[in-house]
Amino acid sequence: MNAKSIGIFGLLVALFLFMAFMTADPWYAVSDSTFLLPNNIENLLRRISMYGLLGIGVAFVIITGGIDLSVGSVVCLAGCLLGIFLQVDYNAADSFDVYRVNAAEKTVILRGDASQRFSRGDPIRLFQVRDPAVLTVQSIELVQLADEEGKPTELGTLLGVEGPLQRDDQSGTVARAFRVSDYSPGSNLGENTAASGDALKIGEIPFQLTARDRLILVHPTSKGLLEAQVASATEEGDQTTAITKQPLNDIFTTDWLAIPMKRQQRMPIPLAILSVLAITGCLGAIHGLLVTRARLQPFVVTLCGLLIYRGVSRWLVNDNPVGFGIEYQNTLSPLGSGKLPLIQWAGENGPQSFGIPYPFFVFIVVAVIAAIFLNLTIWGRYLLALGSNEEAARYSGIRTERITVFAYVIGTVAAGVGGMLFALDSGSISPSSFGNFFELYAIAAAVLGGCSLRGGEGSIFGVIAGTAVMMLLNNLILLLKIADRLEFTIIGLVILLGVFMDETVRRIAARRRAMKS
Amino acid sequence: MDDAPPPLLEVREVSKRFPGVLALSEVSLTLGEGEVLAVIGENGAGKSTLMKILAGVQLPDSGAIHIDGKPVVLDSVKTALQSGVALIHQELNLAENLPVGANIYLGREPTHFGIIDRRQINADAQRVLQQIGLDIDATDALGDLSIGQRQLVEIAKAMSVNARVLIMDEPTSSLSAGEAEKLFEVVKDLRSKGVSIIYISHRLGEVRELADRVAVLRDGKNAGDLERKEIRHDNMVRLMVGRDISQFYARTSHPIGDVVLEVDSLRTPTWPAHPLSFSLRAGEIVGVAGLVGAGRTEMLRTIFGIDQPVSGHVKMDGKEIELDSPRSAIAAGIALVPEDRKLHGLVIDMTVRNNVSLAGLFKNRLRGGFLNRSVEKEDTQQMIRDLRIKTPNESQIARFLSGGNQQKVVLGKWLAMKPRILLLDEPTRGIDVGAKQEIYQLMESLAEQGMAVLFVSSEMEEVIGMSDRAIVMHEGKITGELQRSELSEESIMQRATGNLNADESTVTT
Repeated sequence: MNAKSIGIFGLLVALFLFMAFMTADPWYAVSDSTFLLPNNIENLLRRISMYGLLGIGVAFVIITGGIDLSVGSVVCLAGCLLGIFLQVDYNAADSFDVYRVNAAEKTVILRGDASQRFSRGDPIRLFQVRDPAVLTVQSIELVQLADEEGKPTELGTLLGVEGPLQRDDQSGTVARAFRVSDYSPGSNLGENTAASGDALKIGEIPFQLTARDRLILVHPTSKGLLEAQVASATEEGDQTTAITKQPLNDIFTTDWLAIPMKRQQRMPIPLAILSVLAITGCLGAIHGLLVTRARLQPFVVTLCGLLIYRGVSRWLVNDNPVGFGIEYQNTLSPLGSGKLPLIQWAGENGPQSFGIPYPFFVFIVVAVIAAIFLNLTIWGRYLLALGSNEEAARYSGIRTERITVFAYVIGTVAAGVGGMLFALDSGSISPSSFGNFFELYAIAAAVLGGCSLRGGEGSIFGVIAGTAVMMLLNNLILLLKIADRLEFTIIGLVILLGVFMDETVRRIAARRRAMKS
Repeated sequence: MDDAPPPLLEVREVSKRFPGVLALSEVSLTLGEGEVLAVIGENGAGKSTLMKILAGVQLPDSGAIHIDGKPVVLDSVKTALQSGVALIHQELNLAENLPVGANIYLGREPTHFGIIDRRQINADAQRVLQQIGLDIDATDALGDLSIGQRQLVEIAKAMSVNARVLIMDEPTSSLSAGEAEKLFEVVKDLRSKGVSIIYISHRLGEVRELADRVAVLRDGKNAGDLERKEIRHDNMVRLMVGRDISQFYARTSHPIGDVVLEVDSLRTPTWPAHPLSFSLRAGEIVGVAGLVGAGRTEMLRTIFGIDQPVSGHVKMDGKEIELDSPRSAIAAGIALVPEDRKLHGLVIDMTVRNNVSLAGLFKNRLRGGFLNRSVEKEDTQQMIRDLRIKTPNESQIARFLSGGNQQKVVLGKWLAMKPRILLLDEPTRGIDVGAKQEIYQLMESLAEQGMAVLFVSSEMEEVIGMSDRAIVMHEGKITGELQRSELSEESIMQRATGNLNADESTVTT
């Protein structure tokens, strides 16, 4: 640990103690300080971990003498991409788009050839129409559809139907419904004893129903609709017995029809994560190549990245919020928002607990690998050497361009990891604001932690301490009820002070050294 | 001197102490009107401090400075200028984006109601430029001038304030031979006009040509003066290092081995019209002479893979080597000590150890790409020992070493790789006499061990003194190859200036 790291670590400890005492009342009752509340500490750890990842990534770029301004936008893009890749759709087995619904003639024309999918007597239900009725198929006939000028366009299927059809329509979908032949509430059929739901026996489902699929249950006449998640399903001949996760509402009877919905997740979780990492990695490689090969200035390249990725993110999701909902609450989401409980105790206001937020583990793993890389491997030394004097490194046989590109890749991949964790933590992100200014937090943390923007200098420990100081300041503003519009001002002043002190110490040290030699 | 008129400038027992070091100890100097006084000494002898005191940059702790017999206090550059003393810096202090005239009058522009009077500036500047015989326009952009011309602009700037004493600090260190010639003429011309000049240089040849008198400093003290007739190489070196150096260029005869390196029709990107061919034998020291800009550095850079050749081959032991990157050259056993050690040779803010180990990190790596710290340490300690690098420890930052020791660190980096061919580009530039001699001895002992050494030098004496054979270049072409017995200033200079007809019989390209 060098003198610089000791300085920033000292500042961190001082700030920590200051916070502990300042938020206690009276000041010496430290154990009651709001700062030390388990919730606050957990939150701090979580934020330090996630911002720290960004800081470590940016530190690699800064060590090369470059800068990465695209961090915030890459965070946003990574969050949006993860949301897109993990989006879950539920699709009915036989679902067709409606071309026209004619209530008077009792016909429903579907787009495409659906003749093989329906047979006489099949119940169907209309969705996303003005009159979502349950109907029975009476006749099936292929027809030629035409556009407004009468030109033939595509094949259609005309269904003659029977049922309470009241209104015409020209959009919506139709799905085939299935009869429920048996219903036993509170059943524990099958091996899956975890399910506390009801058992439904449904006939002739065209696909295999599995856990996490859904059932939409519709009433034949009343337009009532229930939704149930499948906990488990077994097949026996053409009959499927599905056990719901939750008990169904009392109004359900075997008169209702079931529309099984297949759960379709666009990608398995590992593939989605790897894809985000690969894409963000490619962006970093592009930054690096533009800097090394095209000899563009890092500031310009990554500034353009900042603008481009923000725009792409918003365009990809149409500016709509991206959320993970409850789909991943037991799988991936805890990686961002969960914690590993450590201690539990009975507090005055109910049971209390303290745990380590999961992002912290990700952060520690990344930080340890980064520190080992930087300090113990030849490539880390190359990185420091080329950051300090790229020409001398090249003259020593180091492939400086590769190492530089690699640093930019680390920068964006770290932002990608951070972005996924941030997105999972908040559950729902808005592409126009998610990740705004994060690059400045990351750069500030790196600089505060002893990275020189001239390159060639920086330690992972310093970056961690720098991030922690930033997050403590942020927390201080919150807990001491300082107007949060002053947040940036305070952070700015502290960074200025830190860098100023660092420069002063450095100058004194240099003078002392010069005297000695 | 007692009854003669007082000298123009007199420095009386000036001392200056910096924390921890006595930079100057009762140093005295006198300078007469129209005299060129060369101040020489090894690095750290106190020359720069003395000059800074004379130029008003620093105040002495004790002692006095007299001008025209009257004591003066030079407490700022401005008062020094008013007293007629101007310092011409080693690193030029000119604004590249401004025209020549504006540079000459920078900071003291004649104004007309607060608006700079360009006309007057240009007229006055033109007059001063003419005075020193510099044939350029006052309105030319400074950035378009050569380094030599810029140096002369600096002198013009000093003359424009009617300086009577010009201090020139290593003025030729970045000039080509032609430019240096031009500078010498200006210096002689100024002398004839009664301007006194204090001339600091490492190049003893220049000193011999220009100086009326030489003052030698050693360890912050006067080490002795030499009058015009005593100014000889051996005398100067003896006073500078404080001992006799009978054999300055340490050459012994040892057998020369087989050809190891063959350069065959190599065309560099800078001089694509001229294919270069020559060979290098084991145990041989070959000097590359020529004027600045003759393409010598570019040739080394191309062999080492920094610049990509237009065409041609380089063979080692008869096998062709890749010229795509320094990495390939290093793998083949070639090392290059570049001309500019701060820019290309050293990572100057890293430690001595990290610099010495830098090129060998990959070769010595542990499994998984981990640093081999013990090899790093051993290599560094060995190099510090073998090359006698003066450093408090191996963790010293390279920046804080003297020029000579920095150069040894660069050498150490390559010697730790045990190369078979050592390319040296101006290996003794900007280092003091003692370190120079150590580097010569090192070159000699490496050659004796069978290494092939190819060195580029602009110092004629060095080429003559050290080479078994010399290659002379002129404007990208090899214009001659001279055996040791044929080496002389004349034979080299003729070829270096492209004058091939003078003695065609010895040209063996």
